Amino acid sequence: MSLNRDRAETAFTFKGGMLPMTVMELTSGDPERVRAQLAGKVSQAPAFFQHTPVVLSVERLDEPHLALERICAVCRAHKLLPVAVRGGPDPVKQSAWALGLGWFPPQESRPKAVETSPAEPVVEVETELPLAVAEGGQTGGRIHRGTVRSGQQVSAPEGDLVVIGAVNPGAEVLAAGSVHVYGPLRGRALAGIHGDREAGIFCHDLHAELLSVAGTYKRLEDIDPRMLGASVQVQLREDQLRISALT
Amino acid sequence: MINNLSGNRKFILAKIIVVTSGKGGVGKTTSAAAIATGLALRGNKTVVIDFDVGLRNLDLIMGCERRVVYDLVNVIQGEAGLNQALIRDKRTENLHILPASQTRDKDALTLEGVEKVLNDLAEDFDYIICDSPAGIERGAQLAMYFADEAVVVTNPEVSSVRDSDRILGLLSSKSRRAEQNRDPVKEHLLITRYNANRVDDGDMLNLEDIREILAIELIGLIPESEAVLRASNQGVPVVHDDKSDAGQAYLDTVARLMGEEVPLRFHAAQKRSLISRMFGGGGRR
Repeated sequence: MSLNRDRAETAFTFKGGMLPMTVMELTSGDPERVRAQLAGKVSQAPAFFQHTPVVLSVERLDEPHLALERICAVCRAHKLLPVAVRGGPDPVKQSAWALGLGWFPPQESRPKAVETSPAEPVVEVETELPLAVAEGGQTGGRIHRGTVRSGQQVSAPEGDLVVIGAVNPGAEVLAAGSVHVYGPLRGRALAGIHGDREAGIFCHDLHAELLSVAGTYKRLEDIDPRMLGASVQVQLREDQLRISALT
Repeated sequence: MINNLSGNRKFILAKIIVVTSGKGGVGKTTSAAAIATGLALRGNKTVVIDFDVGLRNLDLIMGCERRVVYDLVNVIQGEAGLNQALIRDKRTENLHILPASQTRDKDALTLEGVEKVLNDLAEDFDYIICDSPAGIERGAQLAMYFADEAVVVTNPEVSSVRDSDRILGLLSSKSRRAEQNRDPVKEHLLITRYNANRVDDGDMLNLEDIREILAIELIGLIPESEAVLRASNQGVPVVHDDKSDAGQAYLDTVARLMGEEVPLRFHAAQKRSLISRMFGGGGRR
C-alpha cells in the first residue's frame, strides 16, 4: 500500500482496525416505537448507554423515505451515537450522508434474530458486544483436537472454533465467530457464518480450498500464491477478504 | 504365541483387519490376498473374506475361482454353513478364503449377519482379513464396521489420498469401536504402486507428502511392479514370488503388522546415490 509511505513526513497513516460495534437492527421505521423500546432498554442496562456508537441497520425495512433524522435524534436522546447506516435504498443512503453518517452496503447473509423476549421487537441489539458482557453472556466456542478429514465437517454454531491439527482437502470447518487452525488449512474454512463481519480466519500453512468471512469468499484460485504455505490471518475489509501474514 | 489347536481357542479372539481405500483400483484385493497369505505363511491361522458382493475378485487373485460353491451371502442368509463356504487354500496351510457372491448385491449383507460370521470365525482363526469394496457406501461400511485394525491402501496420487482421508474419517466415526467409545481402530497406511523414479520426476506424490496429509503410521510401501500383474493373472498372491520386490515389500508389511520392526525398502529411486537424495532432494526436473 502506497498510502503509508514516508511515515516521518506525513501527518497521519491509514490503518485498518477491528473495533467492537453495536448494530441496531430496525424492524420498524416509526421513531415513537423506537423511543418506547429504547426507554425500556435503558432501564435494563444503563451502563450500556454511555454515548455508545451504533450502526443503524435498515436492511429489514422497506421504506424509501425513512425518518432517519428523527430516529437519530431519539438515539442521541438515549445516549446512543449513530455513526453509520447499513443497507437501505438510495434515498436512505443520501440522507445518511446528509446527516454526516457513513453508509455500509447491506450484508449478504442475514444474521439471525438474537432477541427473543418482547412480542414485537422494534430494535435488536446484537449481543456479542459490551451488552452481552454486562449481562454475563458467554459465547460458546469449540476446540477440536486432531485432523479434520475429507468429508468431515466441524462447526461451532456459537463463538469461535479452534482446530488443533490439520484441516485436510475436502473437509469443512465453520464458526459463528472466528476459525483458528493450529496446523495446515487445506480444506474449506468459513467464519462469521451468521454474518459476523468482524470474524476472521487464522491458520498455519494456508492451502485452503475456500475462505469465507460473513459470506464473502475467496477460492484457492483467487488467493495470492505468495500467501500459500504461510501463517496468515484472513479478515473482511471493505467487502473484500484481506489475507495478511502473521508475523 | 497363539495356540492353533481349535480346542484351546475359546478365549483368544481373532484380530479383524479391514483392507480398504475408498478409491477403486488402488490394489485393495491384491493387498488383502498378499497380506492374508503372508500372515498364513508366518504360521497364523488366517481367513480372508471378500466383501465385494456383486463384483467378486478375491477368488481370482487367490486362484480358487473354480472351487467356489457357497459364499458369504449364503452363509449370512442361512443357506450354507460356514464350513461349507470356506475354501482351504491349496498352496498355503492355515489359509482360508470366504468368497463373495457374484449374483447378489450388497443389500444382501446385514450388520447382524456379518457380525455372526465374524464371531464364528473369530473362534477358529488368528486373523480375519476383510477385503472391502471400493466406495464409502454400505458394503465398505460393513467391511470396516467390526475391524480392530485397518490397512488403508493408497496410491501416490492426489485423488487416492483424498479418498483415503475420507475413509479414515469414517473409520473414526462409523466403526463399532468408535460407536462403543472403545480404543479407536488402529490405522495403517499402505502405499502401493510407488514408483520412486516417477516420484523424483514429480509425476507422483512422494512418501512424505502422503504421510503428512494422512497423518497415520506407515505399515508398508509396495513398489510398482510387473510381478503384481503377473501374480494377479496367475491367481498366485504376489508374496509367493519372494524374489520380486513387491513380494518382499508385502512380506515386510506382514512382519510389521505382526509387530516386528523392519526398515523401509524400495522408496528410493534407482541409480541415485544416497548422498544425492539427501542433499539434492530438489533435483526434480
